[in-house]
Amino acid sequence: MATKKRLKDLTFLEKLYIPVILKGLVLTLKTMFKPKVTMEYPEVKFEPPASYRGRPVLVQEKNGVERCVACGLCSRVCPALAIEVQAAETELEKERYPEKFEINMLRCIFCGFCEEVCPEEAIVMSKDYELVFQDRDSAIFGKDKLLIPVEQLQDRIDFLRKFKK
Amino acid sequence: MNIWEVIIISLIKILIVVVLMLLTVAYLVYFERKISAWIQNRKGPNRVGWLGLLQPFADVFKLLLKEDIVPEKANKTLHTLAPFIALFVAFATYAVIPIGPSIEIFGYKVNLVVADVNIGVLYVLALTSLGVYGITFAGWSSGSKYSLLGGIRSSAQMISYEVSMGFSIAGVLLLSQSLSPTKIVEAQYGWMWNAILQPIGFITFVVSAFAETNRLPFDLPEAEPELVGGYHTEYSSFKFAGFFLAEYANMIIASMMITTLYLGGYQIPYIDKLGLSQTLTVILQVGAFLFKTAFMLFFFMWVRWSIPRFRYDQLMNLGWKVMFPLSLLNIVWVALLIMIFGF
Amino acid sequence: MPNITIDGKQVEFKSGQTVIQAAMNAGIDIPHFCYHPKLSISGNCRVCLVEIEKMPKLAIACSTLATEGMVVHTNSSKTLDARNAVMEFILINHPLDCPICDEAGECKLQDYAFAHSRGESRFEEIKNRKEKRVQLGPRIKFDAERCISCSRCIRFSDEIAKANQLTFTNRGDKVTITTFPGESFDNPYTLNTVDICPVGALTNNDFRFKSRVWEMSSTNSVCIGCSRGCNIEIWVRNNEILRLTPRQNEEVNSFWMCDNGRLNTFKFVNDESRIDGCYLRKDGQLVKSDWAETLEVTSKSLKEFKSNEIAFVASPFATLEDNFVLERFAKQINSNNIFSAKHILTGDQDDILIREDKTPNSFGLSILGIKNDISKLYDLIDNKNVKALFIMEEDLVGLNSEWEKVLTKLELIIVLATNKNGTTQFADIIFPAATYAEKHGTFVNFQGRVQRIRPAIATEELDRSLDGMNKSRWDKFGTKFDRWMQGKKYDAKPSWKIIALLDSYFNNKLKFKMAEEVFNEISKSNEALKNLDYDVIGDLGVTINSEVFQKV
Repeated sequence: MATKKRLKDLTFLEKLYIPVILKGLVLTLKTMFKPKVTMEYPEVKFEPPASYRGRPVLVQEKNGVERCVACGLCSRVCPALAIEVQAAETELEKERYPEKFEINMLRCIFCGFCEEVCPEEAIVMSKDYELVFQDRDSAIFGKDKLLIPVEQLQDRIDFLRKFKK
Repeated sequence: MNIWEVIIISLIKILIVVVLMLLTVAYLVYFERKISAWIQNRKGPNRVGWLGLLQPFADVFKLLLKEDIVPEKANKTLHTLAPFIALFVAFATYAVIPIGPSIEIFGYKVNLVVADVNIGVLYVLALTSLGVYGITFAGWSSGSKYSLLGGIRSSAQMISYEVSMGFSIAGVLLLSQSLSPTKIVEAQYGWMWNAILQPIGFITFVVSAFAETNRLPFDLPEAEPELVGGYHTEYSSFKFAGFFLAEYANMIIASMMITTLYLGGYQIPYIDKLGLSQTLTVILQVGAFLFKTAFMLFFFMWVRWSIPRFRYDQLMNLGWKVMFPLSLLNIVWVALLIMIFGF
Repeated sequence: MPNITIDGKQVEFKSGQTVIQAAMNAGIDIPHFCYHPKLSISGNCRVCLVEIEKMPKLAIACSTLATEGMVVHTNSSKTLDARNAVMEFILINHPLDCPICDEAGECKLQDYAFAHSRGESRFEEIKNRKEKRVQLGPRIKFDAERCISCSRCIRFSDEIAKANQLTFTNRGDKVTITTFPGESFDNPYTLNTVDICPVGALTNNDFRFKSRVWEMSSTNSVCIGCSRGCNIEIWVRNNEILRLTPRQNEEVNSFWMCDNGRLNTFKFVNDESRIDGCYLRKDGQLVKSDWAETLEVTSKSLKEFKSNEIAFVASPFATLEDNFVLERFAKQINSNNIFSAKHILTGDQDDILIREDKTPNSFGLSILGIKNDISKLYDLIDNKNVKALFIMEEDLVGLNSEWEKVLTKLELIIVLATNKNGTTQFADIIFPAATYAEKHGTFVNFQGRVQRIRPAIATEELDRSLDGMNKSRWDKFGTKFDRWMQGKKYDAKPSWKIIALLDSYFNNKLKFKMAEEVFNEISKSNEALKNLDYDVIGDLGVTINSEVFQKV
């Protein structure tokens, strides 16, 4: 049986594997003394960049009114069916506002489709990643938890204006 | 010394060894986690106690507080027996390892070894072989295919590597002309460490020791991607803790054996030339033994977090086609040493 | 038959047909806003421009008569250019407020903007501002900015509703729709303009902002507002009816339905007065009870009476199936006393859709041979010949408060009802009947047309998936933990089922499991419904044999 000539035959030293093993050991040994990257969470908190997709929130204008007109596109596009919107009529010029806007954070998958589809720039992804619940009901966020003043979201809105076509 | 004194001294030594071993095992787990963390640029456990030093106790309590689940289809007797066999074997081996020369305490001459058996090495080999039963029983009695495969792999692996391990030791025995660990240590006076005299034997023994203790890169019996948890897949709570304990105890034994057989045991080269008092010498020597063992333990962990796991066929190839012939070669080498240089 | 060629396809047409009609018959869609098959041709939207060979310019397909040998291109580059230009023109002053517009999702302008338009606007000037939220009539709001001036609503009220109330005012891009001075857009058919409006300019006050159209499921059914039996679709979200829309059926209602039927025939279904579960009178009080106990008590109480002391009231609101099973049950216990009431609102009739008879199934009762001589029952009770009364889905007190006097004379009143009403107050036993939106069944309208209703709302015994009901996306993927799945499900059963259950305590001969089985039984025994089954009736219904019709 003819032995197959391989693309690269190993030399005797390579076949022993000992140099390679030693190389690996040296590498890990060096790593042991390098500075650590661990962030000690509750004390040190991760400050995400503007591109980060935390929990979706509703933009509240300076006059205290939400931008949302309850068009329901976020609700339609949501692949996890996390968003429920009930529209109602308002005397304001925008005619329509969300009487109820609920995001079920147990369903939400943080894909950001809602933000992408929103024609009013009214729902954006925040930097908030701390989402802890004790029961199913408290995981459903209503308007009280979703409305965030526009100043706090400026970072993300600028990011969107720059990159969202 | 009457019989009672011997019994009492032995009991005290056993107690000290067992307690020390349990503590060591607990902190080995801690260090294992720390070292793996450092190697991966992390900090490791640091929440329970200062620097996370109480972490082992938290781990132990967690394990003990868990529900003990026995699979419905398990053979209950063997399922329960298996971790105890593993533990017993691990503990019993400690008896013959000398951690220092004999000293005098309160007028008694005490050997720093629980039982100075003249065939200690044989005893260790015999007991570690028994360890296979614990694993095989665990694998078979769980009534799960993952456990069974893990158990079979493990026994095949241990039997294979025991051969090369035995032949490696043969070289040591030839040099020291004794089966007593104490004698073997004494024979490595000065720089006459077996690791230096017979490097091939040293390497084969270390590799076999890795395989015997089922540590990475030889932890095939519990290869997670294929076998879930291997032979202890179906174990939980205290029984799982038993296997856990046994694995680390075995690691300590392996390190101690390597130290004893190849790294001169408690010997510090030429310490008797320094003219230190006898007590200080003994303390230094015990320290040396512990240091060497600790280094070997570190080495075990270091390797674990650096080198990936072998494939099963590679493992068997290595065992039979490389380690076995190498250990035979080592015997020839030692024989030549004795013939030519007259050791 | 003459032929024309549309997009290379030979299409036959009847003389007098326009190009757009010929194309429609051949399944070729030519975009159109102002054209409507039931309205006169207006030709003002220009979006149906097509290229016709040997014609100097493009022609609008809706008003160009098809002639032999004509060759039409609906997708040529010339046509597309013209269409895009028209779309761009229309969109110049359209506010593009789809997010707040109720029409979104079923909007022609939206669809065509997506399918046929160039996608970008070159219009940089300021759009015209017009009036918004104008209350055109009592039921309709008008948004002048969204209007594309297709005049469909104007033509509808002139030609179909026969009420000249709407007109254009102003000219050019200022044109807007308004009612004639002093008039209100209040004819009985106004809400049809919401359906035919190709954009969201006309909105239904009642449905405004209630739901997006894609969140609802729609189920084919029949209106119960009068004996016309207009074909409708029931739109449901979260197990609640939100609106009814007409469904095209040329034999019955064409594209239309009246405002009364559209607004006032579904709200009782989710009303607070719904009866949820069985009730028994204990110590003078109606107490909620379970089905087994109620049926047990009912059968025991009924057995205490002689068979001719028991009378039954059938209902023209109930389906053929319900009335048939009731009639059978009466026969089983040897009672000949079965009556029904008429609900005639004299004068409330026109020659468009609305009928005097305000019940959907009075003709069905005639087919089953149930007489509508309710006054006879009054006398029987008054003379104490009848001591126990079994009322199915009929409100005698609501019909005439005189009944209160005789109902107190009865020893036992069993009522099957959907909602609490004047009669249920007197009842000793109440069974919760399913509404027309919660069951399968058939109605026969005044023309003798047998039409099917289907469940659109789930009751406790109905499951959307298992019972093959129509589902929205929410219904499909929802779980019991989702708030949008927690719409009320009533503990109610179709009347025929309740009676069949009751029969199991008597002779146990009415072993029906499905409404379809009941109907098959009817068609076996009834000359008028011979050879019919649910599949034959289908979505549009079947008119019964005219000879039989005359006989009835």
